[in-house]
Amino acid sequence: MAGEASQGTFDVVVLGGGVNGAGVARDCAMRGLSVLLLEKQDLASGASGASSGMIHGGIRYMTSDRRVTELASRDAGYIRRIAPHLTFRIPFLIPFATHGEEATLLDRLTWYATEVYVGTYDLFQPLKGGKPSARLTAEELYAVEPSLRPGLHGAVTLDEWGIDGQRLCLLNALSAAAHGAQVRTWTEATGLVREAGRVAGVRWRDALTGEHGEARASVVVNATGGWSPRWGKSNGVLVPMRPGKGVHLSLDRRHGNYGIICTAVDGRQMFLMPHEMESIIGTTDDDYYDDPDDLDATAEEVEYLVEGVASLVPSVRQSRITRAWWGVRTTIYEYGVEEDDLSRDHRILDHAAEGSAGLLSIVGGKLASYRAQSEEVTDRALALLGRAALPCRTHEEPLPGGDDVPVASELAEQHGVPEAIAARLVYRHGSLAREVLRVADDDPRMKLVVCRDEGIIAAEVAWIARHENVRRLQDLRRRCRLAVGGCGGLDCARPAAQVVARELGWSADQLRAELSDLLEVGWRERRPVLDGWQLAEEELLRAVHRGLGGL
Amino acid sequence: MAGATAALAAREAGGRVVLARKAPGSSGLSGGAISVAEDPASMPDTPFAARSGVVESARRIAVTRPGHPYRVLHGRLDRLWTALEFATGQLSSVLAPPSGRNRWLLTPFGHAHAAAACARSMAAGDLAEVRGPLVVCGFEGHLGWDPWLVASGAERVRSLGAPETLAVRLDLFRWEDAALARPFDLARMLEAPGVAEEAGRLLRKALPRGAAAAVFPPVLGLDPGARVPERIAAEAGIPVAEMLSDLPSVPGLRLHRAIEARLAAAGVEVLQGEVRDASGPDVPAAVGGREVVARSWVLASGRFVGGGIERHGALMEGVMGLPVLASEGPFADPSVRFAGRSSASITLRDSRSPQPLLAAGLRVDEELHPLDAEGRTLHERVFAAGAVVGGHDPASDGTGMGVAIFTGWLAGRAAAGRAP
Amino acid sequence: MSKVRSYAWLAWRAVVSHPLRGLRQRGTGRERFLENYASEGLAPTTAGERAAAEAASACISCGLCESGCALRGAIPSIRDMGLHAAFRLYSKSAEMLARSGDALAACASCTGCEPLCPTGVPVAHLVRAFAARSGDFDATRRDPAGPRR
Repeated sequence: MAGEASQGTFDVVVLGGGVNGAGVARDCAMRGLSVLLLEKQDLASGASGASSGMIHGGIRYMTSDRRVTELASRDAGYIRRIAPHLTFRIPFLIPFATHGEEATLLDRLTWYATEVYVGTYDLFQPLKGGKPSARLTAEELYAVEPSLRPGLHGAVTLDEWGIDGQRLCLLNALSAAAHGAQVRTWTEATGLVREAGRVAGVRWRDALTGEHGEARASVVVNATGGWSPRWGKSNGVLVPMRPGKGVHLSLDRRHGNYGIICTAVDGRQMFLMPHEMESIIGTTDDDYYDDPDDLDATAEEVEYLVEGVASLVPSVRQSRITRAWWGVRTTIYEYGVEEDDLSRDHRILDHAAEGSAGLLSIVGGKLASYRAQSEEVTDRALALLGRAALPCRTHEEPLPGGDDVPVASELAEQHGVPEAIAARLVYRHGSLAREVLRVADDDPRMKLVVCRDEGIIAAEVAWIARHENVRRLQDLRRRCRLAVGGCGGLDCARPAAQVVARELGWSADQLRAELSDLLEVGWRERRPVLDGWQLAEEELLRAVHRGLGGL
Repeated sequence: MAGATAALAAREAGGRVVLARKAPGSSGLSGGAISVAEDPASMPDTPFAARSGVVESARRIAVTRPGHPYRVLHGRLDRLWTALEFATGQLSSVLAPPSGRNRWLLTPFGHAHAAAACARSMAAGDLAEVRGPLVVCGFEGHLGWDPWLVASGAERVRSLGAPETLAVRLDLFRWEDAALARPFDLARMLEAPGVAEEAGRLLRKALPRGAAAAVFPPVLGLDPGARVPERIAAEAGIPVAEMLSDLPSVPGLRLHRAIEARLAAAGVEVLQGEVRDASGPDVPAAVGGREVVARSWVLASGRFVGGGIERHGALMEGVMGLPVLASEGPFADPSVRFAGRSSASITLRDSRSPQPLLAAGLRVDEELHPLDAEGRTLHERVFAAGAVVGGHDPASDGTGMGVAIFTGWLAGRAAAGRAP
Repeated sequence: MSKVRSYAWLAWRAVVSHPLRGLRQRGTGRERFLENYASEGLAPTTAGERAAAEAASACISCGLCESGCALRGAIPSIRDMGLHAAFRLYSKSAEMLARSGDALAACASCTGCEPLCPTGVPVAHLVRAFAARSGDFDATRRDPAGPRR
């Protein structure tokens, strides 16, 4: 996918391999444009890889314009349609709490209003295959979620979809490539090429090989997300943005099957929610002025999140937190407003007035609306190119693996793998799980189980290395969550590295360097939450990787 | 290891010993190396450059790392060798005697690790002693170990005296039997009659001229009595060794079993359970349904895995509630409430740096009595040994087992009343 | 202007539509909620299950328990995944538990595993507890993954 003739002429060059960049590349390629996608690290290394991972229907817009909610819900339905294997249901509980012992009239009115609001959202649920809400009495609430602290007065439930945002990004990039786009990861655009007040292309540099080149295009789309303001500054354009840092915590397993909406110490809404094989606590929102490549979670942020959830679910303090992770939101710029109150809308900026005709930037937006946002950008790109407006089909054509999703139990039996493994394969790869298992059919050694947290076998590692744009070992954290769970790579990192090294032709030194890099990335995430059994795990990890491995 | 060494040393000194534990210690997780001290002057990539003796290296560490237990015990380091000989002698069924200079043993990660002593089955793989080509073996039917990667650990230091290597894959097992097997299963499969001999025959066929030794994945039998490495070596005609092991560890399990057997043979009474009401010596303590009164206590409860040091929002010592302190650096100041600090504040971003959180433990004096923050001894007849003692990172600083054995031996003898 | 319209619409919902809908609904809120999610295995988590999860979280993936398992070599799915998968993948979600029933049910309760765990995971007890729950939910009702209804 990378390499050949990225030095060339394209219709569109997309900068940034997040969900917007990948989505735009896909839509442009599907509508017949020649596209080059450049991502300076790995796909979904920014906000797209650190989001709460939800495809929701824009419930908050019912107060301003319910057509936005309708569109958002419809688009959530489209994403379900094109990637059905990747979405999973998350039922949420919105508990009714009071400050004092008794509920005041204002409390009851607020609860009724919430109940009505969520009940009104039910009108849009069919657009995305969602379930209707329900009102729970206090007794019913505790029957449904016994771990809640006493003193709650009931709840209303809400249905939303969860998704693996990193795989969503990847699938869009793969689809773009299947339609003729070129995708280069670990390749940075080092500067815009300008001619006569117009943008004429970009210069790029491969961070891993040092190779550099120039790609000419009349349209350049800046989808660099949280890096946009800095990127803009070095390229002579203004991309106003209020980057917002958001931190999440992961638990080692599902705490429960229902998401719980909590209120943090400062009144902000936050959540504890099940997500794939773990539960997530999120999130913070703070203006971030520093380098998006240089983030860490602070002790304050970690305690803020735990405290917020513990106020409703005290038992969370006994849970095993495995890591903290973070990203920078690409929020639209507005002065004098609190982070939480900023619009989550998106905006497409045309930099023609700044002497950069042909350059578009996308700022703001949400993961859930990526497809509609990408459609808009593609429409604008077509207009700039003066091409006929072909119809967008990104809502119709399934993403790779999204068609004819197999039955996990059948796959397990056909190929002789544990059913749990087959289920994880189907989740990650959909119909392509059959292809992955064919690798194992050809070589039974490839059924070796590599990861017992995510259910990864050697065949999947090999397949991902061959087909999913892998250039570094840490890319596998985003492709299949290798070494991301509580084990931190204790039993999976070395076997996976051995498989990838064979596929990509790495030397022993390169293998070790990549292992070291993988472990370093993991350490950064585990470090702020080392406690309890996770700290014991860290002791083992260090013994094996530092002591024995010399990494 | 620290607890076992202390118990056995106390027995030898004539004491009546009860060993109380809530779970097996971390010996079962060890990879087969008894690392005591790397020569601080030798860089990771130049293991053969410096050839200081092990005790001398420990003395150097005592100088360069002020918080390390070797520093606290620097006046007694002349007994380090005796302690090593004692422990390896007690466990001679699985451990080879200590070598005056570090052995350099290959690991599955393509690295050469320094160890003063090691499992018997590994001694022949010492890179510094192999005179001639070294054959690094894997199994054709199992992807768990990559001999090419393992061999690179020696290749990297060829120019410094390491032997040349040849990586081979022996087609020993039927793939359908072995491909997905876990290390313990492979080890048992190799014990079966004829299998080790077949391995030896396949190895002999693959040997280059003048081959001096062969290194295998660390699965050469679970029971030392099955003599798997010896049988392979006999058939192949050259010495055969295991490489060090990551997890799950067959050599670790062998060591664990050997420790259990030796404790029983020495007459140490082992009680299973958590120690409750642990105020100290001479006061009854409840463990495993029994009440025990002991004149001296040795705390060898381990670090985080062992549960000797726990962190639930703050660091604490699990049995007696003794203060957990930092032994060196800015956090060692008594005014700093180290135990309560956030994990982010007592770790460093670069994982390769020494990490105060991961070196946290009890502070001890030269007699191995735990100290409080002001440096006062807490009890004349309470001793601490092994990873529960702070100031070192047993996981990664190459001194873990050495500290465990040395402090265990000293503490066990002192607890039994043997003069220092 | 559209904000005013939205609030007006919501007010209508609050006063008229929502109460009417409430009259038409059958069953209690809890019944409807649980029924929504029964086919996905998204059931409430009992205190006992939470206690089991907390005990399972002590697993640090060392694999020592496997050496004590009498059935290890015999059952392919146990052999492949390893015993301690019970405290990791198998017990992370109801779906995984349902799909691991065979491996968990094969446990012969020999308890050779429990004394070996360095962090005190009650291995045999948990395997039995998980095995008992794995039949709670039929995972095949989740297949094929795709838009439901």
